[in-house]
Amino acid sequence: MDFRSQQAANKRKTIALLVGMAILVWLLAYAALTYFGRSTVGIIPIAVGIALISVWGSFYGADKLVITMTGARIIQESDNPKLFNLIQEITIASGLPMPKVAIVVDDAPNAFATGRNPEHALIAFTTGILEVMDRDQLQGVIAHEMAHVANRDTLVSAVAATTAGAIAILSDILTRMMWFGGGRDRNRDSNGNPVALVFSLLILILAPLAAMLLRSAISRKRESLADATAVAFTRNPAGLRSALEVLERDSTVVRQKSNSIAHIWIESPLDAKSASKLFSTHPPIAERIAVLKAMEQLS
Amino acid sequence: MKTLIAVGVIALIIIFLVAQYNRLIRLNISVNEAWSQIEVQLKRRADLIPNLVESVKGYAAHEKTTFEAVVAARAKATTASTVADVAAADGMLTQALRGLLAVAEAYPDLKASTNFLSLQDELSTTENKVAFSRQFYNENVRSLNSAVKTIPTNLFAGLAKVSEREFYEVEDPQDRKAPKVTF
Repeated sequence: MDFRSQQAANKRKTIALLVGMAILVWLLAYAALTYFGRSTVGIIPIAVGIALISVWGSFYGADKLVITMTGARIIQESDNPKLFNLIQEITIASGLPMPKVAIVVDDAPNAFATGRNPEHALIAFTTGILEVMDRDQLQGVIAHEMAHVANRDTLVSAVAATTAGAIAILSDILTRMMWFGGGRDRNRDSNGNPVALVFSLLILILAPLAAMLLRSAISRKRESLADATAVAFTRNPAGLRSALEVLERDSTVVRQKSNSIAHIWIESPLDAKSASKLFSTHPPIAERIAVLKAMEQLS
Repeated sequence: MKTLIAVGVIALIIIFLVAQYNRLIRLNISVNEAWSQIEVQLKRRADLIPNLVESVKGYAAHEKTTFEAVVAARAKATTASTVADVAAADGMLTQALRGLLAVAEAYPDLKASTNFLSLQDELSTTENKVAFSRQFYNENVRSLNSAVKTIPTNLFAGLAKVSEREFYEVEDPQDRKAPKVTF
């Protein structure tokens, strides 16, 4: 597949997954109403509200928040003119405004992009990645990060986090209600159909897990999409491919292993063995290399 | 109720029509912006050339034909105005510069001089920027041309006074191969 069909396919899959999230919220609401009766209607907007407030605060200040969480330091053009030249090349290729550039002092080669829109974008590189990569590889990495900016992935992951958060809060409240006095309500209001009750109970228990799986799947699709968009910018799949090969060979990982921002790095900072494939925020790096190699053969 | 529905339908149709018209205008503006980006980058490259020629001349004064080719191509590139002319002059200049860098290869002293190295680095990023601005322009022309040719936007092309635009085509198939500089 060339990069255009790759981009289209990944966008379609993101939409399908987001629809899946929406269906999950509906299922959970249905389960709540079946299990506890009408009186729980008010809980749903409360849960969604809490999730909205907590996620969108961090979405709005994404660039500043991530800087404090990763210890990145913003640099100017005079600090690293060669790096700025490379970034300017990609801004020309993509038509995006010049992002803020930051450095994270860390030997592990890695990079990330954030910011609520292209005007507030920030891309950061570890000192390690600037050392080990040559010009073409670094250009591929920059293109991948700028692709996240172009595809508005901070927004996509904020939407995913909101829905997943709402589901987690909702099912948390409901499971508590199940232990403390929810039963009375059930006897009065619900129809008492045992199949529906068991089904609802299952949904209540499994929904948070399903939400996490969907969220990770969305993150993986956005990574594949960013790889394809990066090729659309540079028209040079070989650069990003060999950059990923460097990352694959390298065994050092970024020191901060915070789960909450794992998805923003180009290579997952979490130890690959501890997270199973279904929960990981990134597609396996070998798979990404294979897709890029296929694109190389086309050109 | 019926009048309300009628008003709603008419409003939707108007919004749809306006959106088509605006899309064409926006695409056309993007092409113009992409074009001016090409001009900015070509100008940047043209400004670099005198310095580069001077620094090579210091070591290889007798390679006259190469210098003349570069200077002539640069003069042509700075006077061209239509898309086809600019593209042709751009291709010639890229070729001539490649010749100049090939000459420089034969002079180890020159290759080692810091002045030349920084110029070469500057030239390589400028070549990339020229190439990327061409690519971005062509992408924009591609979207505009397909909008001008496809339904429903094609119905508004006349009204918006927007027509198909010319692609920026450089003859040299190797034009993306800027001199390689390692970081």
